[in-house]
Amino acid sequence: MKLILSDKHINILLQKNSDIELIDLSKCKISNCIGCFGCWTKTPGKCVIRDDAVKIYPKIAASDKIIYVSKIAYGGYDSVMKAMLERAIPVQQAFIRLLDGETHHLQRSVAEKTAVIIGYGNIPDEEQDIFRELISRNAKNMNFKNYRIVFTTEDKLEQSVEKEVLKWEEY
Amino acid sequence: MGRILILNGSPRAPKSNSKQYAEIFIKKCPAETKYFNITKTNHAEICDSIKLVSDLLLVFPLYADSLPVTLLEFLKYLEKHHPKNKPTVSVLVNCGFIEPQQNDTAVKMIRLFCSKNGYPFGSVLKIGSGEAILSTPFRILVCAKIKKLVYSVIKKRYLTLSVTMPISKNMFIRASTVYWENYGKRNGITKEQMETMKIEDF
Repeated sequence: MKLILSDKHINILLQKNSDIELIDLSKCKISNCIGCFGCWTKTPGKCVIRDDAVKIYPKIAASDKIIYVSKIAYGGYDSVMKAMLERAIPVQQAFIRLLDGETHHLQRSVAEKTAVIIGYGNIPDEEQDIFRELISRNAKNMNFKNYRIVFTTEDKLEQSVEKEVLKWEEY
Repeated sequence: MGRILILNGSPRAPKSNSKQYAEIFIKKCPAETKYFNITKTNHAEICDSIKLVSDLLLVFPLYADSLPVTLLEFLKYLEKHHPKNKPTVSVLVNCGFIEPQQNDTAVKMIRLFCSKNGYPFGSVLKIGSGEAILSTPFRILVCAKIKKLVYSVIKKRYLTLSVTMPISKNMFIRASTVYWENYGKRNGITKEQMETMKIEDF
């Protein structure tokens, strides 16, 4: 499965019969995670908040190719994408394992991913460096087999996404 | 001695470990402190209080490797409503992993916020194994480090500190497994149920 998760509307044309799904998070109702640990200890694998997020995190888990599109804030994802990623913790277990010598949560049935993270905005070098560091940490917790980061401006965002989608369609 | 405003950026602020860390800080602090849980609706009220303090302490848990949305939203509001006198910003961050350095990226984000917006940056305390450490004998280590943090802030001799359980990673994994198993048990959920590979019904 191929998934594009975007924090804003993107006007791109996907091929007919494409196996790519595009989700515009700005149109979804996604409350903030309340840190209750219900998805680990009460209803494992299911968030107790039954809004749109519960339809999205299974798709994130199932995707082997994924593009995240997010505005950058202080070197991280801006609120829309960050809220979704926080709500995606049901894909992990409470239990801890060692990964590359560090402790991390065990994953449930999460496909290994080739990920492209498109960060947009006016992003100075220092902020780009922090974002790169963040994604290298996310890679361990989000099961990225490999990933690429693309920085772009908001006005060139659709072109940047299209370019990445074209690469998917070519292969 | 200036006043210190303590902001809890945990999404479950009233029941959070961050609240407990903040309470230890307040107990050990001889200076005047004021405490807020950040909510969606009190950003303006907090900004009013920021005007009156010399130091701001942000207490929060690591969420998805970075700042919780609760805190992120507040920082975005603050960026648009700066006080005239900007306090020095210190950080007390905790993660559930044994490595306190897993908090480094979040600290860099706060530093970036400060440098971008002209807030002096102060001290940092990074806590590892922060979900459970307060209920273990290692609580004493956390209290000692928080005391150091307090004095670094009030004496304006800012430091970067860290603390975690002084045990091996394998022992930490065993201890955390028992911790989470018991957490599930209190909800009537077995370890096997907690280990389900299913996400929703897939």
